[in-house]
Amino acid sequence: MIGTILIGLSVAMLLFLLAAGLTLIFGMLGVINFAHGALYMLGAFVAFEVYNQTQSFWAALLFAPILIALLGAAIEFVLLRPLYDRDHVEQILMTFGLILILEEAVRLIWGLGYRDLPLPVGFDGSIPIMGSDVAVYRIFLLATGVAVGAGLFFLIERTRLGMVLRAAMNHPAMVRALGIRVDRVRTLVFALGAALAALAGAVAAPVLPVQVGMGFTIIVDCFVVVILGGLGNIRGAIAAAIFLGLLQAFGQHFFPAWIEVVTYTTLILVLLIRPQGLFSLSARRKA
Amino acid sequence: MKTPRFSFAILFSILVPVMAVVLGAFGDVGTQYLIALILIWSLFAIGFDLVFGVAGILSFGHAAFFGGGAYCYAILTLDYGVPGMAALAAATCVGASLAAIFGAIALRVSGVFVALTTLALAQLMHHLIEVKLKGITGGTDGLAGVPRPEFFGINFYDDLNYLVLVAGLFLLASLANAVIRHSPFGEVLRAVRQSETRAEQLGYDIRFYKVAAFSISGAYAGLAGGLLGALMMFVGPDMTRWMTSGDVLIMTVLGGRGTFAGPVLGVILFETLKESASALSNHWYGVLGIVFVLVTLFMPGGVASLLATLFQKVRVGKGRHE
Amino acid sequence: MIKGQRSLLAACVAGVMAVSGGVSAAENTEFKVGGVVALSGAYGVIGEAMQKGAELAVEMRGGKVLGVPVVFQWEDSETKPQAAVQKATRLMAGGVNMLFGAVSSGSTLAMMKITERQKVPLLVTLSASDSITGEAMTRYTFRTSNPVNMENQMMAEFAARDGLKKIYGVVADYGVGRDMWDNLKAKLEALNVEVVAEDYPPLGNKDYSIIIDKVLKSDADGVAMIMTGGDAITFLKQSGQVGLKDQKAVFGTMVMDELMGKAVGNMSYGVNSTLRYHYSIDNPNNNAFVKAFQEKYGDYPNQFAGEAFDGMMWFLDVVDSTGSWNPDDWVDAFETSTYDKSVEGTKIMRKCDHQAAQMGIFGKAVKGQDPKPAVTMEVTHRFDADLLFPPCK
Repeated sequence: MIGTILIGLSVAMLLFLLAAGLTLIFGMLGVINFAHGALYMLGAFVAFEVYNQTQSFWAALLFAPILIALLGAAIEFVLLRPLYDRDHVEQILMTFGLILILEEAVRLIWGLGYRDLPLPVGFDGSIPIMGSDVAVYRIFLLATGVAVGAGLFFLIERTRLGMVLRAAMNHPAMVRALGIRVDRVRTLVFALGAALAALAGAVAAPVLPVQVGMGFTIIVDCFVVVILGGLGNIRGAIAAAIFLGLLQAFGQHFFPAWIEVVTYTTLILVLLIRPQGLFSLSARRKA
Repeated sequence: MKTPRFSFAILFSILVPVMAVVLGAFGDVGTQYLIALILIWSLFAIGFDLVFGVAGILSFGHAAFFGGGAYCYAILTLDYGVPGMAALAAATCVGASLAAIFGAIALRVSGVFVALTTLALAQLMHHLIEVKLKGITGGTDGLAGVPRPEFFGINFYDDLNYLVLVAGLFLLASLANAVIRHSPFGEVLRAVRQSETRAEQLGYDIRFYKVAAFSISGAYAGLAGGLLGALMMFVGPDMTRWMTSGDVLIMTVLGGRGTFAGPVLGVILFETLKESASALSNHWYGVLGIVFVLVTLFMPGGVASLLATLFQKVRVGKGRHE
Repeated sequence: MIKGQRSLLAACVAGVMAVSGGVSAAENTEFKVGGVVALSGAYGVIGEAMQKGAELAVEMRGGKVLGVPVVFQWEDSETKPQAAVQKATRLMAGGVNMLFGAVSSGSTLAMMKITERQKVPLLVTLSASDSITGEAMTRYTFRTSNPVNMENQMMAEFAARDGLKKIYGVVADYGVGRDMWDNLKAKLEALNVEVVAEDYPPLGNKDYSIIIDKVLKSDADGVAMIMTGGDAITFLKQSGQVGLKDQKAVFGTMVMDELMGKAVGNMSYGVNSTLRYHYSIDNPNNNAFVKAFQEKYGDYPNQFAGEAFDGMMWFLDVVDSTGSWNPDDWVDAFETSTYDKSVEGTKIMRKCDHQAAQMGIFGKAVKGQDPKPAVTMEVTHRFDADLLFPPCK
């Protein structure tokens, strides 16, 4: 049982990492970034390439988010900035176009074949915990998820920068009047969201397939986490990811063929009964 | 006041299918097939735009109505030997009913949550169709050998004849669309888009209007799905996947949401672009992406509004010269 | 503004005409092959390999059939039936002499009906659904590659020959997956191999650790995997990390080859899989093919390239032997054709279902020495055709 819970939590952290960037960007910018999956894919490929050059998993884990953050900043600056004052649906068309462009870019650079990022040295075994063999890399995933979650929470809730972020998103005119460059804050947020997508891609690469199209398969999972947690709510996303991770873990134990039905039914019920998300404690972001 | 718009809509509804048939008659089978495909997706898109453009509700569940209609058509004709035209009518009803159910559930919430709820419902239905109901839906492999309609001894397996049938249905559906949009019902939907609260204060039961709009929209989707199944002679779970909802949304935005011609223009642009780009290069994916990005940046409101502006400029310019 | 929209319509419709107005030449100055395979997305890597194999087949016969040059027209099926049917229709309107493809069974089944109407032969060298040469069979469709039933028989034989007694089934939960598993279970039981448990994780599952844990704790000595592409990779990566393949025999249909090895990496070694084709098969035909392939593309041919090459070579040989331009003559000849120059030895086309009977192989992933790829398949079992194909009814 403890083994199941532990595995469930590691699944949860992977889900959280995948969804964190999406919910951050939605919460702060109001943009539903369909290209999140494509950035995730690009992160995995960049991680693969860095590993190929340096033979170091850790270098890959460091550089993939940095490079994709730069790309994210550029995307925000050039493509999204003109759209904030326009109809939201135009953002959908834009991010959809981005998916196609990024997919094509990956194909041009790396081709259509599969890639693999090997496990870092020392992380390739498994340890028995309460009668179950748990892969060491799982524990690492768990730790990474916790660290990222805590880091984001601290950044947004406890730092001056976070305060500016929140203020800039809720009352842009006011913040602008205080002399803060709101557009720079937006660029920063998008870059951070992109970096999270890339980090997810890099840490997922040793456990999930790395190939063109890999982004399409995760975007719906991301949405499930984001919706359950409440749109744009980081804390909610963590809670939702844990809920979903455990649901999937116990589901695989007792009713593997019904996981999807249970997941979507839960999702629909949540949307109808608590559209603000299952785990939103405060109504702060409702506005 | 509304007369010029309405007469444009009528004219457009007649011109498009006529042009389609004329072009088809001069083209080869490949061209006829492509034009039929464009008309079918246009039906889907004009129905989608009734909810999305006119009433301002973003739905991500239209793949379910489209696919629902397609499976209804395929199952009735294949398993029960129902005549094609009757099966098409049934597909239309199934699309409308599914949409009414989705609408009744999802329209309890508002804004982006409608999109998310319809997405979740559609995903659930997709899963049921692809996995749980494989006995009747053929699962991942889909249903092959779907027959085309038959009546008056006309061979609809000839793509030109089938194109004429599709064009005829498009004509009727598009005229109906013109009437709906310019009826008091359409006015209420537009009022809902501008401000739900105001529409409600005027005494309209807006939820009824929204669910009704959903249902009409679903009828278009169901009919289009049935027609596509007959065109391809195949129905598969791809049609209920969320990407299908994404495609119709992209086409509508590309053409111009909320305008009468926009959805159709969007479908024409999307399909011809794909067709020509994929014939020219293996990298059509990227080309399509670049077009989407450029359209968003430089043509807010889609192709329809760009052309409208252009035309106005030309007209003003002409006026000056005269 | 309204009139503007009207003139725009004319422009757009004219665009449609310009784009798709094709001409069909009636004279037999070239033999046109329309290829409809995935050339983008997750299955694009498979389509590309099929393209290479088919093109090499034509090249190795001097680029000609019936005395005229063979011309390929490739189209991207986007792994969607809608696109596959659309492209096939366009190709047939352009007057192709035969079609080749598709990748997914859904796309192939969708194409079969329209090719039958137009009487254009369709050569299938990958899609494995039994119904292609079963209930959905048409006069104009032929499959030269493995069907599901054959793959299953090989898995059952593998389990029996390797002395496995108890099997745990991990089956992706989609229609075909369940059908395959039911079929395989019956075959295993017929060979006295017990099925101790089974799980149906959803298609596109992201995490198998709980199921892997259940498998590890079970008394099964073998794990049968029925899952495709990405799911198989996920399962193998995750199960390798807890040493599943070191404790139980892991085997499946098309779950491992050199291509998958690149995706699964170090976790590949020891995994067993059916192989549609392998470059190490030792016979003069295959050796010549592998040599030519390496010269042209600088790599070993994978299963998809090998099967595409073999099927295309065979079909064009049959076309040549008829000396006719009538597709019905080709179909009649192909129905009763025996191909003894196959890279897999001999393939016999069955008239009853248009399925090529052929031998089958099973392989195991081992460490490859340069110049072979890091993950290389070693052929461990060979099964004769009469063991794998039930006689025609």
